[in-house]
Parts: sequence; structure tokens; C-alpha cells
Amino acid sequence: MIVEPYVRNYLSEHYGDDAYRTLAGYEAKGGFAGLKKAVALAPEQVVELVKASGLRGRGGAGFATGLKWSFMPRTSDRMKVIVINGDESEPGSFKDRLIMERGPFAVLEGILIGAWAMGAQRSYIYVRGEYAEAIRALRSAVAELYKKKLLGKNILGKKGFEHDVVVHGGAGAYICGEETGLLESLEGKKGQPRKKPPFPAQHGAFGLPTTVNNIETFAHVPFIVERGVEWFKGRGTEKSPGTTLFGVSGHVERPGLFELPLGTPLREVIGHAGGVRGGRRLKGVMPGGLSMQILPPTELDVPMAEEFLSQRGTHLGTGGVMVMDESVCMVRVATVVSYFFRDESCGQCTQCREGTAWVHKLCQRIEQGRGTEADLALLTDVPKLMEGQTICAFADAAAWPIQGLLRHFRSDFEAHLSERKCPFPESFEL
Amino acid sequence: MRPETRAEIESLFERYPQKRGALLPAIYLVQAEKGFVDADGARELAALFEIAPVEVHEVLSFYNMFYTEPQGRHHVYVCTNLPCSLRGARTLLKGLESHLGVHGPGTTRDGRITIGHEECLGSCGTAPVMRVDGAYHENLDLGAARRIVDELE
Amino acid sequence: MPTITIDGTEYEVPEGRMVLQAIDDLGLLMNGVDIPHYCWHPKLSIDGSCRLCQVEIEGMPKLQIACNTPVANGMKIHTRNERVLAARRGVMELLLINHPLDCPICDQAGECKLQDYAFQWGVPESRTREPRRPAKKAVDLGPTIVFDQERCILCRRCVRFCREVPKTGELGVFNRGDESLLEVFPGSELDNPYSMNVADICPVGALTTRDFRFKIRVWFLDDVKSVCNQCSRGCNLVASRSNNKVYRFVPRRNDAVNETWMCDHGRMSYKLNGQGRVEAPRVDGREVTFTDAVKRAAELLRATLDARGKIVGIASPFASNADLAAFRDLLARLGAGNARFSVPRGEADDVLIEAEKAPNAAGCRALGMTESNDSIGRADLALVLGHTLTAEVFGDVGNIVLVDSHESALSARAAVVLPARTFLEKTGAFTNSRGLVQKFSAVVEPEFEAWSEADTLAQVAAAAGVS
Repeated sequence: MIVEPYVRNYLSEHYGDDAYRTLAGYEAKGGFAGLKKAVALAPEQVVELVKASGLRGRGGAGFATGLKWSFMPRTSDRMKVIVINGDESEPGSFKDRLIMERGPFAVLEGILIGAWAMGAQRSYIYVRGEYAEAIRALRSAVAELYKKKLLGKNILGKKGFEHDVVVHGGAGAYICGEETGLLESLEGKKGQPRKKPPFPAQHGAFGLPTTVNNIETFAHVPFIVERGVEWFKGRGTEKSPGTTLFGVSGHVERPGLFELPLGTPLREVIGHAGGVRGGRRLKGVMPGGLSMQILPPTELDVPMAEEFLSQRGTHLGTGGVMVMDESVCMVRVATVVSYFFRDESCGQCTQCREGTAWVHKLCQRIEQGRGTEADLALLTDVPKLMEGQTICAFADAAAWPIQGLLRHFRSDFEAHLSERKCPFPESFEL
Repeated sequence: MRPETRAEIESLFERYPQKRGALLPAIYLVQAEKGFVDADGARELAALFEIAPVEVHEVLSFYNMFYTEPQGRHHVYVCTNLPCSLRGARTLLKGLESHLGVHGPGTTRDGRITIGHEECLGSCGTAPVMRVDGAYHENLDLGAARRIVDELE
Repeated sequence: MPTITIDGTEYEVPEGRMVLQAIDDLGLLMNGVDIPHYCWHPKLSIDGSCRLCQVEIEGMPKLQIACNTPVANGMKIHTRNERVLAARRGVMELLLINHPLDCPICDQAGECKLQDYAFQWGVPESRTREPRRPAKKAVDLGPTIVFDQERCILCRRCVRFCREVPKTGELGVFNRGDESLLEVFPGSELDNPYSMNVADICPVGALTTRDFRFKIRVWFLDDVKSVCNQCSRGCNLVASRSNNKVYRFVPRRNDAVNETWMCDHGRMSYKLNGQGRVEAPRVDGREVTFTDAVKRAAELLRATLDARGKIVGIASPFASNADLAAFRDLLARLGAGNARFSVPRGEADDVLIEAEKAPNAAGCRALGMTESNDSIGRADLALVLGHTLTAEVFGDVGNIVLVDSHESALSARAAVVLPARTFLEKTGAFTNSRGLVQKFSAVVEPEFEAWSEADTLAQVAAAAGVS
């Protein structure tokens, strides 16, 4: 049984209703009103609308969506393509899966609005291969849209407005969630991110002008177009309007998804999840998925939006909140984290390929009680060798959590050195 | 590959501006025949897609869900990333491996099950989670996991 | 043309180029503007993964890879400030943590870019205590290349080369992350007519040639410029020699002729210099001294001239321009008319290999010589350079005076055989198929007495009293 959002808002309001997953059910709840409004506007006006709304991408980077849409060339003698990133593989993140399974039509309506705005003729929804159910739900929704002529040619009777959607499954590689890694994988190659220039808007999928956006990002679009910019900016923060589905996991009473306005304090988000399990003390929380730096309990008042989290030395990422209680050994956490990045590095860039492996080996040794002061010094230095110098941000994502753990929980590491074993007997097993 | 497989692959070409876009779906189709893609399968795919066999093997070796070696009849993968580990996934995996008589990731002697760990499956709210073939099993404890694998033929 | 500033010096660069390409266009890369790099190569597609060529560009917050940053007018680049040097140290350190300590047994030592850049820009000491990743060692990747997978730094130059130049694409990188491995498809080989170029472009000793393996340390070699003589392309090369012996050919860059490549056949042709040579002069099959052979040839020449006999001259497309010119002049003085020549032919490809299997047919043509494979007909004396014509063609010829570097069926037929120097043993020039005159320098001295074709025939003419 999939976890339904325990707190709902406009996006997930009807997720509990099975009919919402059918076109008729979706339309009954106001679906496609947004698209109808959009096609009454000129495409450029729709782009401006999305820009004005301040919608930020929900895939982890938080880039301004309207601005990204404006990068697509106005006219092109080649086909223009939208790619929807459904590769959700960030540990701690499980919102896109729910959106695809329970609310696929909002995503598709958002895609069609984007297609109108950007003049794109084709979309590829790239869904991670493990999400078999989500792929089925999307394919079923797409089939319904074709039947009702909301896909294909002359959509909504508009001559020249044609769009095709292909749902394309991945095959198990986190790096295929990176924008250009995804494009490589879509093209049938290894998902190794591309150097930039060239940029996807000029040379994207199959060399065509392409815009890549996250599943959830598209899901917000119909609501924004239908209900208006002011309505959208009325929830969330000034720089990060709207809601998102926060995923809370780990040591909480009620892990799951919670649709809340951006800017909700972290304490409140965790509170919705029932607080730390068994009434224990909180030790640390990762606010934005595995790639983002951990926060200590003193930072729980931080509003959950990028502009605030970045002031505290971390990021919103995909809003995957992972809660750790007092039993947890942070060196074991570092070992789990570093193993993940070692396993998922695509292997192109020297710093990432060699650095992720070195960091993992150091964490392992320290965790097993065989570490030295020199190893701890290296654990500080090696992430610095990795940061900010690679083709994509994976090396940053691999470096930051380790740096965060060392910054706030250095004593856990030092205890492993001095006691030559893990001093947290209650901690989860490795 | 079987003629039906070849025909199905060929029907995918038109969905992509370059036929190579159909490679990942094609590999799934070939893999479905034997549970893995052997050297002959890779060569056939290479010919069909007009690329070098080594390029097919690059793709096969890059992705977790493609196999170049024979597999058990069923795949059982327990997520061991952070949210699941926090809720005992690694202990569960060890218990499950022990139950199946497999040391670490591997296949049971009767070829019934290949068991291993997997990275985040996107089900952190219902941890611990395992993927059995195409289906997720959530909110697991060792007992439930054992019952599920025992049902597999 | 845009102007960029590098370390305070202004340069005018071609439009539309990446920074590294532009510096290379100016001939300054690693030659005044030092930006170390592995994955970039002037004649291959841009990769961008080694990260070693990072430089600081004012106005851009992160370091940028010079290989993939387009030049822009007014760009200010720093290649040796502390930030850039720290980044280089980082890359070098990370490349070395898994690299095996093979230098004492590795052929690449002395011309290894990992050694060179580690010494210049790397870290002085290793900080790693981790075991290094084991992989394949010293396996035959195919007929020409020995592969050491542990040494590979995954620059992917070889992968791109095979896909882009011979277009055979045998190589790939399997797996991902630190399990990445350079490989061929299981059961297949690296086997194409240009395979040995991968050993040139591999910055380390992961890909080396079987031919050169363990033969000599490169610091005992000195490199002499020459040109390949196996076809009319005239690929530029250096001959590496030590103690009067050639150990290998390595292509030399010439963007107008062969870029940075040569074919395996041409590369291996250095061996021909020591095989099947005419080592001693012969008269009627008996070995004689050089003086006696010249004397006999002169007698035959004098006799033919006195009897107003017919003399024909057969030139060789393997001879140098100077030798051919001298030959033409001699034949004119002898009243022997135009020289003839024949060109061996074979398969060509669309990369480098040309159909004419000799370096200087164009030189022959430029001197007005006649190309022909026909029977010579009746003649009293033939002065022949080389053995591009078969013995049958000389059916009706009285005496042959043959000046040749290598033995052949023709040398059995000749009345006098005089050893000649090869192109590696003299200085001269060939004209390639595109009309480019390309010089070569003497690399080695023959172990026996031999002269150039021109010098040999000058001695014969003088002995025969020809003015």
C-alpha cells in the first residue's frame, strides 16, 4: 500500500480518490481547465505567466521554471522536445512516485501546457525502471489522452497544436536523474552527464532543442495557469512559492508524504510525521535528501525553502527529510552515504570516480575502528578535492553530506578513533 | 532473439528520432527471454541498432537492472540506503539471506532466487522495503519478508 | 579575431575555438602556455572528463576546463595561480591513488604524462593507505597492443580514436564509478590497420606496443625526423634510434599530411631496414669489393657506349628527389632518353593508406620520367635503381647494372649489383601524392659500404670516363 499524503493541499487533494486516476475523474475535479486557459493565450504569454509565478523546479536544483522555458528557441526547423524527469532516485525522496501513481493527469496537463508554451512536439517521460507501477499509471493515462484526442494532432481542436508523449523506462542508475545524464540514457547510451556547452535548449535529446523538468514541477503548472499567479504566490514563500510534497522518513512515528507550503518550519514538518519515534531525542536531520548537508537539532526552526536552508549551510534538494534519533552512529551514516555515491558515480570525472571510492574506504575503516587521525584529516580534505570541479554536480552531492556530518558530528568520528570500535551499540546495523 | 522480440523492438524505432533511443526498452525485451543478455544477444542487438557490440556491452554493464549472467528465477532486492537502514533493513537482509542459505548477494543453489541489496527504491515512507521482480513489498519485518520469498517458485 | 589574455600576455586567437584548441593553433600548448591535460587531443572529439586542464577565467566563479570553454574576446585566463595549481594537485593525487607503482617495469617511463605532470604539478607524497584496485595486467588486446588495465586513467582517448579515425570502435568502458574498466567486447580484439596509434595517444603505459615491449628505455633513444616510404601519403614520423639502430617509428604531427597518425604497416616498416639487404657488391653472382664492382660496371658502360649500344634507365619511386635528378642527368649525358619507372599498387582506404605503395612516384613524374610496366624490349645495357620491375620484363636486355638496397629476384639476373643506402641512411626528400616535398634526415649508418644511388652511379660514370 502506497503511503498517501497525510497532509493534503491543492496538488494531492484528490489522491485518495481512485477515479482521479482516470481522465473522466480528473476532469470532474477541474482537470484540463488550465490547458484550455493556456491555449487561449499566446505561447510567449504562457511562458511569462510561469515566470511570473516564481515556480521553482522540484527536482532538487530549484531553478526558475519559467526562465528555463524561455531558453527554448522561439522557432526551430527541428522538432522541439520536452523531457520529464521521473528518475527519482535521491534517497529520502519518494514524492514523484506518488504523483505519477495517483495524479498522472496533472503531470500530463502540465506537459501539454509546456508543449503549447514552448512549441514542443514531443515529450519523453523518463521514469526509473524500478517504478513499474508508475510506468503503468502513466502509460494508461497517456492512452486515455490519445483516445480523447488530448494527445496527437489538433489538440483541443487547435490546428497545428500536436504533441506526442512517450513513456520511457530507465534501468537502475541514479545518475540518470541528472539532466544530461538522463538525455544520454534516453538516447540509449550510458547515463554519463554531458559537458556544457552545448546546453540542452540548443542541443538536447537527440541533438534537438530540449527542456528538462521534474515530474512534480509539471504537476504544479496546470494549477498555476488555471488559478493564477497571485493565487500561487499566496502560498509558500516569496522566493519559493507553492507547496511541495515533503517526504519524511527514518526515526519518526508516522513516516510518509506531507504536502505543505514551502517555508514550513522543519520542526513542523517533522511534527506532522509524529515527531521522533518513541519519544526519543533527535540527533540530526537531513532536510533535502541524501545529497544535502545534515542539520543538528538546533536548526529545527529553519523554514523549509532553499533561500533559508542555504543560509544554514544546506539545501532543500528534493525535500526528502530523513530523521535520525539519538541511537544513530553518524559514522555508520557516513558509510551508508559514501557507499551510495561510490556505487552511483558514473565514473567519468577523475575527482568523482576516485574521490567517492576513497571517501567510502576511509569511512569504512574509521567505522570498523581501524581509522587514524590522518584518515580523519583526509575525510576533510578529499571532499574538498571533489567539489565544484566536475562535469555535473554529483561530486558536490557526494562531498556535501560528508562535510556536513563532519562539521556537526565530528565527535562521533573521534570516538571511533579513540575507542577503536563503534561506541553506539544501539545504532542501526550496517 | 525470438522473431516476436525482434518485431516488437522494430516497432519502437519510430518513437525516437534516432533508433538508438529504443535500446534500453529493447534490452529489456531481449532480457525477458532468458533473464539475462548473453554475448550472442548483445551481438544481435548491436546488428539491429547498427552499433558495435562493445557499445551494447557498455550499456549492459552500466545499468543495475541489466544482466549479462544467468539469474535466479526471481529477483529479491532489499533497499539498504539510509532511510531503510535506519529502520533495520540491513538486519532484515542478513536474516533473509540466512533464511535462503545465501552468503551475501547471490543466487540460491536451486536457482530459484537471486537476492541482494539495492539503492533507494523511492519508498522511504514505508521502510523497510524490498523489490521482488516488478513489485514492491513495503513495511516489512523479517517474518513478512520470509513469507513472501517462500511463496516464490 | 578575438583577443584573450593568458597569464597577463595578450594573444589573438582564431574565432570559434575552445581555449585549448586556440592555444594549440598558435603552437603554444605545452610550449609557452602550459596547460597539462589527458583526455583532450587535437585530433579527437572533446571529452572533458580528466579535469586536469582546469583554468581560472575572470568573471566565472568556478574553474573551467580549457578544452571545452569557447574563446571570447577580452577573456582573461590564469593558468598558474594558486587556485589552479591546487586543482591540478588534486587531480594528480586522485589519479595516483589507484595507479600501480609500475614505473620500473613500464615501457612508458620517460615519456609518461602521468610521471611528467606528477613531477611538475602533483603532490610529493602519497596520502593513501588503501589497497589499489587490481585489474588485468599485460594481456594481449590484439595482435599489436599489450594492455595493462590497472594503469589506465580512463581518459578514453583510445575509445574515441577507434570510433573516430579507423572507425572500427573496438574499445569501450564497462561498468561505472570506480569499477570502470577499459575493455573490448568479450572474445573480440583490438585489430585494425591503425591500432598502434592507441599506444601513442595513451598518456600512460596502459596501452603499449608488443613490438617495442621491453626493448629499450626511451631515455637512451634520440628521435630523428623522417618520412614513411611505404606509400605516397608520406606520413611524417620520427625514427627513434640508439647505437646506430632504429627501435621504432612514431608518427610526427603534420596537419596537412597525416595529422598525428600513421598506419601500423608503415610504423612497422622500420624493420625492413635490417632485413634482406644487399650487403656486398656482386659481379656475376660473386661477391667482390666495391671498387671492383664499380670497375666492372664501368667496363660494361664503356663498352656499350663505344659500340653505340642501346642504354635504358629504370628509376625507382623509392629513390629521393636528388637521386632521381642525378639519374635523369646521367641518362641524358649517356644519350639514353627518358628514364622509366613503375609503381607498385595496392589497396587504399579513406584514412591514410594510399594506393601507390612507394613514396616518390610524384618525384619521378615531376622529372618527366615515363611510367610503364611493359617489357623493355631490346637493349644492351640497363641501369636499374631498385626492383620495382620483375625480371621477366628484362627479357631482351643484355646486361643489368643494379643499384639496390634490398635483395630480389632481379639481383640474380644482374651482371653487377651495387648496394644502395635506404632513406633511413641518407638525407633527401620525397614528393608525396599531393605534391608536398618532404625532407628526411639520415638516422643510421649501414654496417657495410653503401652509397646513395646518385653517388654510386657517379662513381661508375667517372670510372667509365663519362663526362
